[in-house]
Amino acid sequence: MTVLPFPSFLDDVKEKGLKRAVFEGVNEVTERVTAGMNLQDIREALRGEAPSRKPNPRLTPHADGFWLHMRPSYFNREVTGLYPTFRLGWLSTYFVFFETITGMFLMIYYTPSPEVAYENMLNILSNVPLGQFVRDLHRLGAEAMVLIVTLHMLRTFLTASYKRPRGFTWATGVVLLLATLFLSFSGYLLPWDQLALWAVTIGASMAEAVPPEIVGTNVNLLLRGGPEIGANGLLRFYLLHVLAVPALLFVFTGVHYYKVIIHGHSLPPKAENIGEDTAKRVPLDKRVYFIPDILTSEIMWIGVTTFILVVLCTWFYHAPLEAHADPQVTPLGTTAPWYFLWIQGALKLGDKTFWGVIFPGLVFTFLIFLPYIDTGVSRRFAHRRFMLTLGFLLMSATVVLSYMGLPEFGVATAAEQAVLHELTMSPAHNHMGKLLPVPYEQLPVGAYTTRQIEAGPEEAAAAVAAFNEELEATGLGATLLQELQQTHKLDIASLRFSTVPADAPELYKVLEFFEHELDAHEAELRNAVGMLVITQNQPNLKRIDALIMWNPVEEETADETLQNAAQTGEAEQPFRIFAQHIFIHADSNYFAAPGA
Amino acid sequence: MSTVTAAEGQPRAAARRGAAAEVQVSTPSRREFLYYIWGASMALLLGQATAGLIWFALPRFKEGTFGGIFTFSPESFPATPGSAPVSQPEGRFHIVHTEDDGVLTLYGVCTHLGCLPKWENDRFACPCHGSQFTLEGNYITGPAPRGLDLFRTIVTFDDGTVEETVAADSRDGKDYAIKLNGRQIVKIEVDTGARIRRPGHA
Repeated sequence: MTVLPFPSFLDDVKEKGLKRAVFEGVNEVTERVTAGMNLQDIREALRGEAPSRKPNPRLTPHADGFWLHMRPSYFNREVTGLYPTFRLGWLSTYFVFFETITGMFLMIYYTPSPEVAYENMLNILSNVPLGQFVRDLHRLGAEAMVLIVTLHMLRTFLTASYKRPRGFTWATGVVLLLATLFLSFSGYLLPWDQLALWAVTIGASMAEAVPPEIVGTNVNLLLRGGPEIGANGLLRFYLLHVLAVPALLFVFTGVHYYKVIIHGHSLPPKAENIGEDTAKRVPLDKRVYFIPDILTSEIMWIGVTTFILVVLCTWFYHAPLEAHADPQVTPLGTTAPWYFLWIQGALKLGDKTFWGVIFPGLVFTFLIFLPYIDTGVSRRFAHRRFMLTLGFLLMSATVVLSYMGLPEFGVATAAEQAVLHELTMSPAHNHMGKLLPVPYEQLPVGAYTTRQIEAGPEEAAAAVAAFNEELEATGLGATLLQELQQTHKLDIASLRFSTVPADAPELYKVLEFFEHELDAHEAELRNAVGMLVITQNQPNLKRIDALIMWNPVEEETADETLQNAAQTGEAEQPFRIFAQHIFIHADSNYFAAPGA
Repeated sequence: MSTVTAAEGQPRAAARRGAAAEVQVSTPSRREFLYYIWGASMALLLGQATAGLIWFALPRFKEGTFGGIFTFSPESFPATPGSAPVSQPEGRFHIVHTEDDGVLTLYGVCTHLGCLPKWENDRFACPCHGSQFTLEGNYITGPAPRGLDLFRTIVTFDDGTVEETVAADSRDGKDYAIKLNGRQIVKIEVDTGARIRRPGHA
């Protein structure tokens, strides 16, 4: 006999035999863990049979268990297909968890200090097993989350699901959108690269423009933690990114989803009469039970979405990392992330307080209060002409403003800087200099010139030889060499140009692009020659100097001067030289995004 | 499928409004009133706590964190009037020899959103939102609200005279410049603690 006040497992074995006792033990544990379903119930559900006992054991996990207490026990068949939800709300939730998990793993190797943050990034990228992969997943997930949440809002707008009684659900959704945007943006600062520093400098300066002045100044100080973004600013953005905003996001996700369930998933507009809301009354023949149908479908979707992200991050996407943050140089072509391009475009229109603070503020205030402004009962497209028109106008305005946010719009850059920037820029927003993705073995040491491209494949060798002679004859070769040696500290003894070897087609393509760019800027860069000088800097490290040599011409009078020069035949003005260089390591492993 | 028009919903809404108008508001009882007072004091406490937390989170500065005096010899002054400015990255400013032969120091941070405009041949151009400024920091184009800010500059000349930038309250950078008038510069001091903002261009 046992000393316990209740029969022990051993007693069970003595009484029923080992096999039976183990089965009953497992069965009981299963029923407790699932809060109501024993092994028989689970097998019935998986076989697609009706439950054999009452009360329905497939409903008890919802009623008695914690994990499913907020999930409805059945859905309306009308909302389980791709339309009308496109799974966008579900996907948004998926990304909340996906970003939390990948983010927690990245935190293992990250310290929020300007001294080591960038070093941490390099360590994650090059040393930590799967480090780059996890960072890619986190970054791609962030971009995808912004996209999905925005599309979710768009869908809700189009099917008019924000109308009574779901106004409050919509308002909390806008808060979630704002939290998503801020999370994505605050993550920018953490790598402490050039993109990080300047994107956040602009962001914090916008906060400074919040009226009245005393509020703006102090909000700016609170965010930056000092007059400039430094150690304090990084720490503050880190805390917002990993603690404060996620906490807000989780709370509002709970509120939002609770409201979704309270009112039921809104049905497609045409499934109901105008003014009716029947989402909560699901007819028996339209019920799709959570267990097992929705549950297995969601697990499948988790698998599929994660698989897509893994494939993208393995073959098609790498999170960019620019050079180390430098508070003394603003890089050329500094842009906001794509989802803030519309604000950057608006900022170019004028006053930063209006276009940077009041305008976006009005847009988001309008969005929050949309359900209380548009109180029409009908959800049919035909009855919502005004709101749909307004919606599409807003979307078009966003596209136009986003275009205006691009660096091409309204930001003047000297032509020679613009051309070399296109060749040598470090990766930002999946855009990088054309030289970077050239494979290491296709960068043969030597000097190459766009004259080769100009002359065409047959005349290439002759054109390059002629160029060498020209340099020698005019003494320009010596000037170039001196410029490279002294200004750019390039360790070479002589400069002699050759044609690109046949086994370096990628380098040839870059040279073609170089020539094309020079052609496009012919008005500013008169008689321009592009040159690429490749040297072996260290074992496994090559240095590439890109040079442009041209006749300076006043921009305003370029055409006139060119014509005059052609008439009088005196093209020989003093040459100007502009050069920039980058280093490519044998393991640099840049690769261009598809289509970039 | 029967179609309910919006018009049929109207009487109900009207009935609701009518009901609301008839609601009688009684004066608060002592208990109710005390609850309001208690609630207000809790709100006040919350407000104080918030103010305290903001005060806590506001960064503190030591004396002199904002800047100091940078001293330069005449070699770091551009040789000819109107030539390219000499940049001092550590102090984030440019020393300018104005076209009418004067000394000026421009704060290198764009008055728009804090990027650093680069000197490009004949103007400062900002890579972020495209604002442009002349050599004297005067506004040319773009979203910036005013020309580049200036730092108080103290110039010592070879004849022993010392002149410093006066706040001219003018949009034109030239008005802030210290004229050479044929004298040689012995020393230039730039006080980055004293920033001069010129009026907006509008």
